[in-house]
Amino acid sequence: MLGWTIFYNPMSLPFNSLLWLLLPLCGAVAIIYKTCRVGKISRLWPQIISLLVYMVVGLAALCVVLWVVLELAP
Amino acid sequence: MAEKVRKIQPLPFLALLLAWLIPGAGHAYIGRVRRGIIIFITIGATFWAGIAMGGVMTVDSVKERWWFIAEMFTGVHGLVSWQRTNWVYEKVMDDDEISSAVVDGDPRTNVLIDKKLQQEGIALVSPMETIARAYAGVAGLLNLMCIFDAVLLSLMGVSGEPELSEEKEDRRKQK
Repeated sequence: MLGWTIFYNPMSLPFNSLLWLLLPLCGAVAIIYKTCRVGKISRLWPQIISLLVYMVVGLAALCVVLWVVLELAP
Repeated sequence: MAEKVRKIQPLPFLALLLAWLIPGAGHAYIGRVRRGIIIFITIGATFWAGIAMGGVMTVDSVKERWWFIAEMFTGVHGLVSWQRTNWVYEKVMDDDEISSAVVDGDPRTNVLIDKKLQQEGIALVSPMETIARAYAGVAGLLNLMCIFDAVLLSLMGVSGEPELSEEKEDRRKQK
């Protein structure tokens, strides 16, 4: 290997930090969905933040439920 | 005096082509320029973040066909990345052992290719493989949603930003 080049060689990120990469992806989904759906463009950013909060809270709740199921599973 | 603005009916096929080729261009074409710019930046940033994480082999038409289909919905971004991957494969095929394995139909061909990619430091392995392809693939699927939106709006003859209820009220009073 002759050194690392962006967009050519893969990054090596620590395993524990990978879950945080879900947040920008949720952000992208919220931005695109609301950009297509919102009626008044001036209301775009509050609606994007609102959707992002819903998504993150929903995913966190799902994680908790799955964790509880795994803990209680025989 | 109310100024009359003549609106041009957008063509659905052109909206489809533009929305696929350059993310956001479909919305810009139907008069929603600000939305088009937001879509262009977001789709591009998401796709290239995936490529930055996974490297040149993120878009792989040979090994990851389903992800590849999703990635191709990003239009020019996907096409450029596909071309870069093809260059890598052409470079790999220059290796005598691999090229003779391909010609002979050797079942070890894929193993040899993987070994060569690892030697070059560009082999994409788990868990970064999943994250990188998710970014690039989701960018493509999000653009698919934008393509549908642009085409449906052009089929309905919509041009420009949606009229607000207050504006509709004003227009009704003027009549």
